[in-house]
Amino acid sequence: MPSSYPRRNRTPGELALAAALVIPIVIVMGGLVFWPLATSVVDSFFRIDPMKPGTPFVGLANYGALMADSNVQTAWLNTLAYVAIAVVLETIGGMGAALLLNRVKHGRQWLLAITVLPWCLPPVVNAIVWMWIFNPSYGLLNHALLWLGVIDSRQVWFNDRATALFLVSLVHVWRMMPLTAVILLAALQSIPRDLYEAARLDGAGPIKSFRLVTLPLISSGLAIALSQSTVFAFNLFDEAWILSGSSLDTRSVIIQVYLTAFQNLRFSSGMALSILAMLASLLVSLIYVLRVYRETRYD
Amino acid sequence: MRSLISTLPGRIGTVLAVTLLVAWSLGPIYWSLVTSLTPPLNLLGAPSLWPQQITFEHYAKLFGATSMSQGNAVQSVWPQFSAALANSLITSILATIVTVAIAAFGAYAFVRLEFPGRDLLFVAVVATLAIPAYTVMIPLYRLMISLKLIDTYTGITLIYVSAFLPLALWLMRSVYQAMPISLEEAAWLDGAGRIYTLVHIVLPLSAPGLIASAILTFLNAWGQFMVPLVFSPTLATKPLTVLIPEFVTRNYIDFGLMNAAGILAIIPPVLLVLFLNRYLVSGLMAGATK
Amino acid sequence: MKRRVFLASALTLPLLASFAGSVFAADGLTVLLPPWGTLPKEMTDRFAKDAGVTLDAQTLGWDDIRTKIITSMVAGTAPADATEVDWSWVGQFGSANWYVPLDDKIDKAVIADIPTASIFRYDGKLLAVPYSNDFRILIYNKAHLDKAGIKAAPKTPDELLAAAKAVKSAGIAEFPIGLPLSATEGTSTAWYLLTKAFGGDLFDKDFKPLFTDKDSGGYKALAFEIGALKDGLIDPAATGLKDVEVQEVFKAGKLTFDVAGWAGNLSVYSDPSKSQVANDVAAALMPSTTGKSRTFGLPEAVGIPTGAANAKAAQDFIAWLAMPQNEIAAYEALGNLPPRMSVLRTLNEQGKLKQGDVLLEQAAVVEPLIAQGTPGWYPQFSTAVASSINQAAKGQLSVDDAIAAIAKAAADAQSN
Repeated sequence: MPSSYPRRNRTPGELALAAALVIPIVIVMGGLVFWPLATSVVDSFFRIDPMKPGTPFVGLANYGALMADSNVQTAWLNTLAYVAIAVVLETIGGMGAALLLNRVKHGRQWLLAITVLPWCLPPVVNAIVWMWIFNPSYGLLNHALLWLGVIDSRQVWFNDRATALFLVSLVHVWRMMPLTAVILLAALQSIPRDLYEAARLDGAGPIKSFRLVTLPLISSGLAIALSQSTVFAFNLFDEAWILSGSSLDTRSVIIQVYLTAFQNLRFSSGMALSILAMLASLLVSLIYVLRVYRETRYD
Repeated sequence: MRSLISTLPGRIGTVLAVTLLVAWSLGPIYWSLVTSLTPPLNLLGAPSLWPQQITFEHYAKLFGATSMSQGNAVQSVWPQFSAALANSLITSILATIVTVAIAAFGAYAFVRLEFPGRDLLFVAVVATLAIPAYTVMIPLYRLMISLKLIDTYTGITLIYVSAFLPLALWLMRSVYQAMPISLEEAAWLDGAGRIYTLVHIVLPLSAPGLIASAILTFLNAWGQFMVPLVFSPTLATKPLTVLIPEFVTRNYIDFGLMNAAGILAIIPPVLLVLFLNRYLVSGLMAGATK
Repeated sequence: MKRRVFLASALTLPLLASFAGSVFAADGLTVLLPPWGTLPKEMTDRFAKDAGVTLDAQTLGWDDIRTKIITSMVAGTAPADATEVDWSWVGQFGSANWYVPLDDKIDKAVIADIPTASIFRYDGKLLAVPYSNDFRILIYNKAHLDKAGIKAAPKTPDELLAAAKAVKSAGIAEFPIGLPLSATEGTSTAWYLLTKAFGGDLFDKDFKPLFTDKDSGGYKALAFEIGALKDGLIDPAATGLKDVEVQEVFKAGKLTFDVAGWAGNLSVYSDPSKSQVANDVAAALMPSTTGKSRTFGLPEAVGIPTGAANAKAAQDFIAWLAMPQNEIAAYEALGNLPPRMSVLRTLNEQGKLKQGDVLLEQAAVVEPLIAQGTPGWYPQFSTAVASSINQAAKGQLSVDDAIAAIAKAAADAQSN
């Protein structure tokens, strides 16, 4: 990452100030995140199962068993599908919403409030509202599509795996898209307006000025937005759990973690899987954080 | 840009896009509202876009002198509901204030100050975004028990701060990075100290970023379920997101009541976003004149 | 101005917080129960007076109680002084030694009056005392059968199918049989019940599967469910329905049979303010191929986790809850069917029990799902059962494959 300031000699006061500003972060994150995380990572190398006496060291056995488990493999595939669908839709939709919010002059605060509304619904209520919409017998979706003539008989949406995966993702996207929109909006608002004027004077159309001015300048916002949508999609739980329970067609990795640790009481095995989920979402995020910074830098 | 908006096709496009965004965001919520106003027995009929028969019974169950639980009359759930509403507000607002404050000052250090391990620390903090709640829940529970912070606002707030700080920090860092250093240097030349510059020059200019971080943190905290489920056992700190699912019982799914409670639950965050947004807009105006 | 508002709120909020915190903090007995275990204030006040302790009731949604208990027990603390214990958790909580044995703490005569108490024994030790009775019974819409010209409730699975076909062909109900087929626990328990109806059992005494043979009860039960689905007797949408949602459809008058009916639901079904079939609902003994009706119990109980701070008060609470007048009060306020046979009989004599005679007759033959007790691997097995049945109902697995998948799941769950 390029430094945005010239390198100078550090003053003694600067170090003290930096310490004062950063220490709260170190304490909170160290105590409440890194320490518990380290405990869980260590636990994942032991057999911790309250139903069995003792907690012997088992090395990578928990991880090995997860690799071989066909349910876990299915859960990974489902989660990858969720991540792909959610990230693409949230980024496109969130970018559209942010550009629109940045452009609208009248009633912008109302439009922003409306845009973030889906996210204010408690997650459980969100999933239940959609469950009601997807209901095969009484749901709005079937009635609307029948009325429009798109389908000619009532559909049981969750009987088809691809449809089920898409609908679960859609519920997730509906809830999480505002996050992307708010991040990108904040980034858009930091772009000085005269840059667009300059681009226009150079004869750039709206698409060209988006590509040459907007995109590079919001690149860090875009990286943040992409990473958070990836991370949240990897952590998808409520939507799939409420819409179709433990069904293998829609079971996400985190549902599998819940089932393993909190239902089957294979605690350390669940921890191992959740750590793999963390590593996977970090890896995917890292790929586009690096890409976004590389592709959009001025140089 | 300006000329594009003033052309007719551009204007129609904008109106269409606004309509689409509003329909996408409000459609399911409107449907939730309709469900909350429909008598229970009509819910199993053909859906209609406007309830043929409007009832406030689901809301009455929340506000009335007697409430229904699994279809049985019990004491009003309103005291529980209002306590949970207050808890949601208090924990979310506290978490927002603390998170944004730490992020606003901390991010400055990550951008403008030099200290050993700076980039490593930043990357490590941001990487914690990816940790699933289940991974840290049980060690965290042990820690909170030993600190006697279970079922306290302090405990919940601390956990929220640790969960939402990375995103706010990252966002604030990107805001500061985009800011030209020349303004600060001018102040330093005038003899202003670092803190003075940060508070009086940098922070006001970062208003959109601060507001965005506040909105993100508040809404993330407002929607939390897993953390309060475990760390808020009683109404002393239990928020709405944990209270509302209790209305779904094994014997009785009350779609009407769930939706009514959900509709009530979205009012406070929306008011807050509207309120914050005024500052967002005024922050923009300030930016426009710079 | 802005800063003053900020400062003022920053200062007042923690104050407010500590104030609100102190209002609700109470010493005394903490109890963690689902919404239907949340007693009305009149009852909790009475308990506080009788026992001299204040009752601090914590309510959590059904799925969430278990997460809460497991989190705190793994972390080494009791989640509350007394908590919900579901029949399906007995094996896990028992083998983890998480609950205090209650044998010498509760009156033996009371336990003897509660047949379902045996379901809460692990290794011979009583882990919890039932407060809510639940078992499965056939609930049907009598008006549908009358219209189809059927005089009596079906006594065998075949009669049930024939009656459903008659109802369907008469155009009275499009999908007469209500059975959940989603990947949820209700789907598994319905199959277990039908397994017993076909004269079978899930496991032998060594936990070897007894459902793999084509003549076994379990195989026939699954074939029955999938066959009824293919014949259009079960709504194809049932693949997405939980048991409670099937019950909503029954209440709307669109089902003839709630095959895996919950005994406690009869009072809900026959209440005109909650059900459109209040006058038409009736109950019958579970159909059976052997001539002897069978069903199994799914009761809920209260137990004391090890390390509970106030175990003595928790013990008093459990004993108090099992008193006849309190079981009756809980039935009237919350609809929890009393676990004590003597109380059930009293209620029936007073005419307070809907379909009381059938209920009592069925209650007398309630057995545990697994004779030797719920094993620790039951939850894992049961999730796999629900997933496999769900896949079979969606047409992704044949009946043979689904049965094989369930048998494999049983082996996997036991091998861990």
